[in-house]
Amino acid sequence: MSASALSCQGITKYFPGVVALDAVTMHVGAGTVHAICGENGAGKSTLGRILAGIHQPDAGEMFVDDRAARFASPRDALAAGIAMVHQELAFCDNLTVAENLCLGALPSRRGFLRRDEMRRRATEMLSAIGAVSLDPRRLIGSLSVAEQQLVQIAAAVGSGARIIIFDEPTSSLGSVESTRLFALIADLRARGVTMLYVSHRMAEIFELSDAITVLRDGRHVRTCATHDTDEQRVVHDMIGRSVEQYFPAHLAAAPGEAVLEVRRLSSPGRFHDVAFTLRRGEVLGLAGLVGAGRSEIAQAIFGLDPRAIGSISVRGEPVRIGTPREAMRLGIALVPEDRKRQGLVLAMRGRENVSLPTLPALSRWSWIDRQRERASVLEHTGSLRLSESAMELPAFALSGGNQQKLVMARWLAAHSDVLLLDEPTRGVDVGAKAELHAWIDREAASGKGVLLISSELPELLSLSTRIIVLRDGRVAGELARAGATQERLVRLMAGLAA
Amino acid sequence: MSTERARSARAVRAIVHSPQAGLLLVLIGLGVVLSIAAGSHADPITGARTNNFLNAHTLIQMATDASGFAIMGVGATIVIISGGIDLSVGAVYALAGVVMAMLLRAVGPLDPALTVLLGLGTCLAVSLVCGLANGAMVIGLGVHPFIITLGTMWMLRGLAFVASRAESILVPGALTGVAKSSLGLGASLYPVPLVAMLAVTALGSVYLTRTVMGRHIFAVGGNPEASRFAGLRVSRVQLGVFVLSSLTAGIAAFLGASFYGSATSSDANGYELYVIASAVVGGASLSGGKGNAISALLGALLIVMIRQAIRTLHLDQNYEWIIIGGAMILAVVFDQRGTKWLTGRMARGDGRATRAADPTTRP
Repeated sequence: MSASALSCQGITKYFPGVVALDAVTMHVGAGTVHAICGENGAGKSTLGRILAGIHQPDAGEMFVDDRAARFASPRDALAAGIAMVHQELAFCDNLTVAENLCLGALPSRRGFLRRDEMRRRATEMLSAIGAVSLDPRRLIGSLSVAEQQLVQIAAAVGSGARIIIFDEPTSSLGSVESTRLFALIADLRARGVTMLYVSHRMAEIFELSDAITVLRDGRHVRTCATHDTDEQRVVHDMIGRSVEQYFPAHLAAAPGEAVLEVRRLSSPGRFHDVAFTLRRGEVLGLAGLVGAGRSEIAQAIFGLDPRAIGSISVRGEPVRIGTPREAMRLGIALVPEDRKRQGLVLAMRGRENVSLPTLPALSRWSWIDRQRERASVLEHTGSLRLSESAMELPAFALSGGNQQKLVMARWLAAHSDVLLLDEPTRGVDVGAKAELHAWIDREAASGKGVLLISSELPELLSLSTRIIVLRDGRVAGELARAGATQERLVRLMAGLAA
Repeated sequence: MSTERARSARAVRAIVHSPQAGLLLVLIGLGVVLSIAAGSHADPITGARTNNFLNAHTLIQMATDASGFAIMGVGATIVIISGGIDLSVGAVYALAGVVMAMLLRAVGPLDPALTVLLGLGTCLAVSLVCGLANGAMVIGLGVHPFIITLGTMWMLRGLAFVASRAESILVPGALTGVAKSSLGLGASLYPVPLVAMLAVTALGSVYLTRTVMGRHIFAVGGNPEASRFAGLRVSRVQLGVFVLSSLTAGIAAFLGASFYGSATSSDANGYELYVIASAVVGGASLSGGKGNAISALLGALLIVMIRQAIRTLHLDQNYEWIIIGGAMILAVVFDQRGTKWLTGRMARGDGRATRAADPTTRP
């Protein structure tokens, strides 16, 4: 075994109400890519953040090159050669790439900024990782997520980091961008950089890593060389049990009457002339690259796009939907892609989040009937396996999977029968993902119409009755379940000849 | 016996775990210190020793001093929870008082009950209009409420100034009779402002915690985007909070003008900052989504008590502002650190238990 570049011994970290890490011990070999995986809430991001000096451990020790290290801040960690590429990208949006890259040590002469020098340094840092096409004068806020990530990596490499921690780097990247990132990681490894790769995406982990550490519930489960293990075993370690392959039950019956018909739906600059019909008892997949207009269409149907024009019929009746409230009344539900920003009020309890849209029905003269509220919430969270005690915790204290279930339960309580699900399993752990899939299938089988937007092609392929592919805001094609393969989807999405 | 003890133990635990515990502790602590440090004097008539701080007169006087901004503090808390801010309440107070006094002077002597009703109605109507104007501008113009209410603060006070020609206008004695009625307590004790303050706080607290509108206010303040996605009418909630905030200023104006017997355009000058301070000392978060009415009341009481302390302890009155400013920062820091410390301890103590109880979705 190679010498360890970084190791930790008995790292323990408490957060209000939870033990995030419980005596975790781990060694990372120098010059390797070491994957850290686990379900959401397993503590993998927390471990990364402690190693990068963002959090301080409550107990335990860290060693860099076998020397004891103690970081009071990310600056300390950086001085020891450790940098982190964040899940939530941490830059000043209002400053330029060059300013952000030089922020730690702005070049100046007698107190005045030397802009030319700053730009030169930034260009140098960017070209060191092959990002030559990125203009250092652009504002960070104007960059795509992938570009921002490149800037972060450039900052890490440019500051002389020998150990880089990637926290779920592909969570907001498309497939092309991900591939580019993997090439960069391989290149960095060849240059002797040690990398920690925090993720729960099996395919990436097996493609990239030399060793895998699995965490579960804040505890270390296993570390082994990647070639000594397989996906099944890692998934089993992550969730503590094995997941069965899943065959959707809603396919047993033929789809029923049309519940949502969309014709000539357009919104300037977003999507054009979109038409489809959603029937009861079917899951209609909506595929496309980031920016193809998938979320925008769902939001327009839900009354969130005032510029959208076209015709929409619900249960055969032509309707006009100007606000989410009107959409709700028609039985349409939207589970938005960004649950923290659009789905939940994080400071409110789980119960309060679920009852939010249905509160008037659970009250008399505006007075909330708490018993009815509890009963209603319980009735609709039960089928999602959300515990009663979780309903009284603030939403931010729940795992990603449970947060997503709150948003779903909300619309069950509102008796919606058109479910627009936008990336319903993004950032959700493996166990909860299987439950959400089963739930989606059950809802469709019970006669609801489900529009499923997802960037995960296996998810679309396994759940959908048929799949519509969007490209640049237009319908590029439709695939029946029988004829749909990952390759055909990708070709349609990217506009290649089928 | 044992059930009784269990019940009182439960009550104590409820108070200790309530969000008001820290502030209550500070208030009681300060009260004890003042009672001990104040000394006592002999009553000139009965000869009984009376504590210079802990006596009915001083306490009710403090409540009267606090009542104005405690009542408005409830409104400010509601606005702040929704993610907004209202700087115009002091000006609304002045305008409502002045308009009421001028109207009652113009209509001449009336039946006392009618006078009181007309006075209260006028204050509420004026403040309602002001609140609607604030809310409509915040929503319609899409400008931050800080700026809108900063503008209306000057405009409304200017309106009061022009309308009253900067005169102090007397209000009919019927109003003072109500505001200064003893409610069965001894003479020279005026508990009406105290009672009004408690009533408005209780109403505000129930409104925020038990009604649909209250819940919607927390939701909009916590995450306006998610509220919109959940089908809430966000702008209606925003309009509502400014109306409520203004209405509390109207109630305070009615009480204030009645109690002191007159109204001028310079009434409640600078109150908006006391009011916001009360809400913030009470733990309301300026980023929205957090706060409660009872804590705002305690915040107002704390500010008044600090002022009282300066008098009781015979400190130099010139230092009043410095002390209040420092104490306010300290109170907020103490509150935040205390909460962090408490939750940290709870995490360490119950971490394992919480994790076991946490939303485990596994069978």
